[in-house]
Amino acid sequence: MGKIIVIHSYKGGTGKTLLAVNLAALYANQGKGVCLLDLDFRAPSLQAVFRVHNAEYWLNDYLNGVCEIKKTLRDFSQTHVRRGKLLVGFANPSTEAIREMTAKDRKWEMKALGRLLSLKTSLLNDMQLDFVIFDTSPGLQYSSINAIVSADVALVVSGMDISDIKGTQRMINELYDLFEKKTGLVMNKVFTEILQSKTHRADLAKQLLNSYNLPLIEMIPCFCDILREGGTKIFATENLEHPFIKILDRVATTIENL
Amino acid sequence: MTLPRRLEQSSASILQKIKESLDRLNEKMEVMIEIQKHGQHTPSQEGIPDVLDVMTLLSLPDHLRKTAVTLCKLDQATADEVAEQTKRARAVESGYLNQLVLMGYVKKERRGRKAYFYVDREREEKEANKTWEKS
Repeated sequence: MGKIIVIHSYKGGTGKTLLAVNLAALYANQGKGVCLLDLDFRAPSLQAVFRVHNAEYWLNDYLNGVCEIKKTLRDFSQTHVRRGKLLVGFANPSTEAIREMTAKDRKWEMKALGRLLSLKTSLLNDMQLDFVIFDTSPGLQYSSINAIVSADVALVVSGMDISDIKGTQRMINELYDLFEKKTGLVMNKVFTEILQSKTHRADLAKQLLNSYNLPLIEMIPCFCDILREGGTKIFATENLEHPFIKILDRVATTIENL
Repeated sequence: MTLPRRLEQSSASILQKIKESLDRLNEKMEVMIEIQKHGQHTPSQEGIPDVLDVMTLLSLPDHLRKTAVTLCKLDQATADEVAEQTKRARAVESGYLNQLVLMGYVKKERRGRKAYFYVDREREEKEANKTWEKS
């Protein structure tokens, strides 16, 4: 049975999408069947990464009950990965769609939760995929909490900023713990100087473990060359030797065993 | 068939019937206890919809949240099936499920001898599923 992984953070700009895209490509390049879904309906991103302008059906339509999940998925196995299968579902980036999604009521959100929960059957059981990866909106958005409840494993991404650390801490205590979710923490954009010194690295890991009480999956340094690419390149396919991908490889293995 | 064998069989079936009646009685008692504890709960007061969305799940006490999340995942289930997932006793889950029914978040339907609990996400959802199956 495959796994549904949700990638979430308290604040925006932590690197969720970068992690989600590369993790999806990395698993696919290992020969696995992967489906990546953009559940950030307030600020859709994946359509820009995969250069998709139009779609007959968006994930919005699936959650609205207009179509089944298969109709929203595009196959990038031939173009974006070396082997395996990579399917991607996009959120509608039009302002009108974003406005519509932010105005949904609780009853709609309850149905959306039902639809997200049923992906376990449609994607993992029926389509036999190995991984489904949810990219989400930051913070305590309805769509993100729905995604967290529907996932098997949650990856919380945090930066080193104090507001991020404090917010993430609260979010873990008041959200993740309540849903008893298997959760791991990824610290992103950590200063290289800290990671280079063994003592500093160990100190930080200890501090993080104390404040979050969560398994620390990885500390990823800030990579200027990745930032320079501006999200246009999928490193897990184009540059397998990049240190970021080496680190992500460890993340991928840890998630499998979580 | 010998007389003692027939007697054995009929007493087994009587015992089974008594057990089922006791189970049903037990469920009813649990509901009555909950009503006494909380009074007739009507969650739709003050215009708050009685929907089992994630915000409701978050606001539930821990013991009920576990049951409610499990039921959401199973779509519909008996107390036995929920208990299997939560690793808690069937009677405990039955009590919690009935409490959720009273709170208006969960529906209960009796089919034959089994009671099924489910989250009512409205019929239109099921109709939509049927249309997909056809197409």
